[in-house]
Amino acid sequence: MSNVVNSFGSPFFQRAAVEAVLVGALAGVVGVHVLLRRLPFFVVAMSHATFPGVVLASVLGISLFAGGTGFGLVVVLAIVGLGSVRALDDSSAIGVVLAGSFAVGVLVLSSQPGGSRDLSAFLVGQILTVTTADIATTAVVGVVLLAVLAGLHKELVQGAFDPEGLRALGYAGRALDLVVLVVITVALVTAVPAVGTLLAVALLTVPALAARQWVEGVGPMMVLAAAIGAGCGVVGLCLSAAWDVAAGGAISLTAAAVFLVSALLRSPGSPLSRRVRPASVPG
Amino acid sequence: MQRALVEVLLLGILGGVVGVHVLLRRMAFLTEALQHTVFPGIAVAFVAGESLLLGAIAAAAVTVALLNVMTDGLRIEHDAALAVLIAGSFALGVVVVSRRTGYTADLSQLLFGRILDVDVRQIVETAVIAAAALVVVAVLHRQFVLLAFDRAQAEALGIRVALLDLVLNAVVAASVVVAVRAVGTVLVVAFVVTPAASARLLGRSVGATIAIAVALACMLGWIGLGASFEASVHHGVRLAAGATVVVAFSLGFCVIGAVTWLARIGSRRDAAREVPA
Repeated sequence: MSNVVNSFGSPFFQRAAVEAVLVGALAGVVGVHVLLRRLPFFVVAMSHATFPGVVLASVLGISLFAGGTGFGLVVVLAIVGLGSVRALDDSSAIGVVLAGSFAVGVLVLSSQPGGSRDLSAFLVGQILTVTTADIATTAVVGVVLLAVLAGLHKELVQGAFDPEGLRALGYAGRALDLVVLVVITVALVTAVPAVGTLLAVALLTVPALAARQWVEGVGPMMVLAAAIGAGCGVVGLCLSAAWDVAAGGAISLTAAAVFLVSALLRSPGSPLSRRVRPASVPG
Repeated sequence: MQRALVEVLLLGILGGVVGVHVLLRRMAFLTEALQHTVFPGIAVAFVAGESLLLGAIAAAAVTVALLNVMTDGLRIEHDAALAVLIAGSFALGVVVVSRRTGYTADLSQLLFGRILDVDVRQIVETAVIAAAALVVVAVLHRQFVLLAFDRAQAEALGIRVALLDLVLNAVVAASVVVAVRAVGTVLVVAFVVTPAASARLLGRSVGATIAIAVALACMLGWIGLGASFEASVHHGVRLAAGATVVVAFSLGFCVIGAVTWLARIGSRRDAAREVPA
């Protein structure tokens, strides 16, 4: 464990820890909306679909965040458009879009020399090389996203539970759905430099799912999910330093372990089991 | 090149048939999840020097079992459980591979496959597994279709629904496992989902849809592979073979989608003209 103690002092590790806490907390809060609306497959799809944007941005030398977000928005519109075609359900539309856009990313990258090294960095992240600018981006984006979620909290939650009722009240239900999808996409892209495109999925789903094992209200769930996300970020980083394994992988595994313990402790038949199965929380 | 073509055609047939059932049952997410969860199995097998196929089969079996435990035993929603499995298993795979030095090259080989390197033994394995999967699907075709459209009636007719679900999961898992080595763990879902989704835009019945899906997968697979080969050998542009094939699938989907959309608009306009308001 002396590795861990030594690495606490290094500026790399400190920056990585700040980034991990920020990304973990943001992803935890957004993740609650992912679960409420049954969007895990969408998150997985976006993690693949923003990939060509990130690749193109790195080839063109512009900000990875801008590239990923821009491409992500196009993909969101494509999925929403395809999903409204009669012969295709949402999950098929998502599958088609994710496979196609990921392949485009691989193709662009494979035509660049020295591609495979960069590729792995996108996929698994490089949290130890985050810069102060990355941290600032994460913080600013995080505050904006949380402000949007807080401002529209009531409408978004009602949209998840009772879309018909929301529309009957005169809200633009479709526009609100799109807001959620965009928020998720931006949160995902923000997490990419830290944990990579594929493991960002873990932070956007697992802490929220773990939190849902313990609390029932949407508000408390968000607070707990943020805490779990941030905690997993720090613990995962320490484990990664201690055993010299990939940081993104260690963070995701920590989150998965927290979920597993929560689910087992709260499962029917265990002493800590919840009294009544919460029927009020779908998805 | 010829071996790669045989492999692509085999996978195209398998993917087309299985894909239509996957879409009917809305199992695209399960396919996506499986392609990620077999990754640690392959990674462990790779590090241990065992057969990649064995590792993938073991990982797929563990995934289906864990999924069952989580959805039935712990009462977690199907999609949330899949997300956890994806996240956990991919992370495990990355951690296992990252313990080795020079891991990035290995990693991308595992992730993107090497279809141009397939040998005869691999083709034979693919053919055997594909044939077995196809026989199962052909024999149980009517039950699968009934189950997809009317679960309640299937139960009423005394069909063992849970068992059939398990069989279909196993078939999907087998398809993912054989495709993984050729096209890599992240592009498999395209082989299963994209040709079938294109075919659904055209086909009027399940049988016709399957036929169209197989034809599309084989044709576009051949075109994609040829394009990649041509670009790499004659024009000096390196295009990853698996990714090129998948891009061909996606372009095919776009074209078919655009044509059917235009046709629908056209027929709507004709209908409007025939019935004056």
